[in-house]
Amino acid sequence: MKRALTIALLATLLGILLFGLTDLFPPAEVRPWAEMARAYGAGNGVASIVLGSRLYDTLLEVLVFALAMVGVRYTLKPLGKWREPVVPERGVVREMADVLLPVIIVFAVYLAASGHLGPGGGFPAGAIAGSGLLLLAMAKGIERLSRELHEGTLEPLEYGTIAVLLVLGCLSIPLNHRGSGLLVVFNLLIGIEVTIGAWVVLHYFASHRGEI
Amino acid sequence: MTVLLLAVLAFALAAVALTRRRLLWGVAVLGAHSLVLAALYFALSAPDVALAEAAIGFGLVTFVYLLAIRRTGRIAVAAVECRPLLYPEGEEVVGLVWELLELLAARTHRELELRWVERGEVEGLLSSREADLAAGDLVPSARETAFPRVPLLPTRIVRVRRGKGPLGAISGSREAERLPRGGRLFPRRGELLEALERGELGGAVVNLLELRSFYLRGTFRDAEIEPLEDADFVVLFAPDEGELAEALREIMTELREKGEWEELLRRYL
Repeated sequence: MKRALTIALLATLLGILLFGLTDLFPPAEVRPWAEMARAYGAGNGVASIVLGSRLYDTLLEVLVFALAMVGVRYTLKPLGKWREPVVPERGVVREMADVLLPVIIVFAVYLAASGHLGPGGGFPAGAIAGSGLLLLAMAKGIERLSRELHEGTLEPLEYGTIAVLLVLGCLSIPLNHRGSGLLVVFNLLIGIEVTIGAWVVLHYFASHRGEI
Repeated sequence: MTVLLLAVLAFALAAVALTRRRLLWGVAVLGAHSLVLAALYFALSAPDVALAEAAIGFGLVTFVYLLAIRRTGRIAVAAVECRPLLYPEGEEVVGLVWELLELLAARTHRELELRWVERGEVEGLLSSREADLAAGDLVPSARETAFPRVPLLPTRIVRVRRGKGPLGAISGSREAERLPRGGRLFPRRGELLEALERGELGGAVVNLLELRSFYLRGTFRDAEIEPLEDADFVVLFAPDEGELAEALREIMTELREKGEWEELLRRYL
């Protein structure tokens, strides 16, 4: 019974995938990008798509992310804390973290700063920088990294970033100011926000013993 | 075509990830699965989604799983049954070594996953890393001294002779290496004991705990005993688990300092 169900489910998934490959659904009509770019004051096609149809989507996404983070913070706070395990990470992870971390951070900043020119943007950039922090956490130990990051300053930084983002986002409607420059600022702020969020969620999950 | 190939590969990797027995390998394959998915999105001309999948599915999620495994991972124990060090009692596992292992698991935030094995399997399980450590009726053979180890109890390997006939020992053990030519090997202690009771053997090469269990069953009441060498019961670790061995060593030192070790010995021996 279980096996039959599994096979049926897999077959359905595969079927949906194959169905999507057929030409039954023609791509949606999109206005030519040059026209859209003029309307939104964007310098190129990507920026025009982001400004035209993705901007508020992304802003609200970040808001949802921030809410999730606050939820994690306040639900896990009352739970007890783990002791730091005595078994440290092996040398190879520490060495690799030293080598990889600069590359990861540079790539994340590049993605955030060039989000208006190509695929990328604040969200993946933040996720990549967050993975970089996690790599460091594995190499150094979470509690040690947490002390070095000054948990106390992270919280105002995180809420401040959201506030600035929302204010800028809301102001850009009545002032009707849109442009690639604004996008760079947005992407960098979103990147910072997602990085801090990834770190906070992970730190809280890892350091609190949530027993079911 | 590329899309189809990538889709099939993604399904295959997902299936592989689900069937891995070690969580770590499962997570590694899941990471590969995410990368293939990212490539699939890219081939479907959605580079933005591909980037997000690679960053979150491959980067973030893999790290979260790795940290979770480190916090709650398992220690795979190859256990050689031995009263009173490590033996099953009903549904439970008890013994002196078991108490030590539980302390080790608590300290490293990992769970114990026990598997009863024959003495001869230990070396293979440790060198293939299928087991992180081995414990129980374990006096390391010459080849097994290459593994990291923590000595627990001093013992002695003795030759016991009761009459004429070949000597017996448990295969793969240090005792088996001290067996004179023409000796017979048995995979488990119980089988050695049965052979002795049927009178097929003229004696055995055993360690002191085995000797004790034979005495308790009355098998060796009037035997002639000759000591061969001093040795230790140990916990053996897989080659790259030196840090786990270090943690156990620390636990032993603390127990000795607090005097709880003597208490444990009195309770079990």
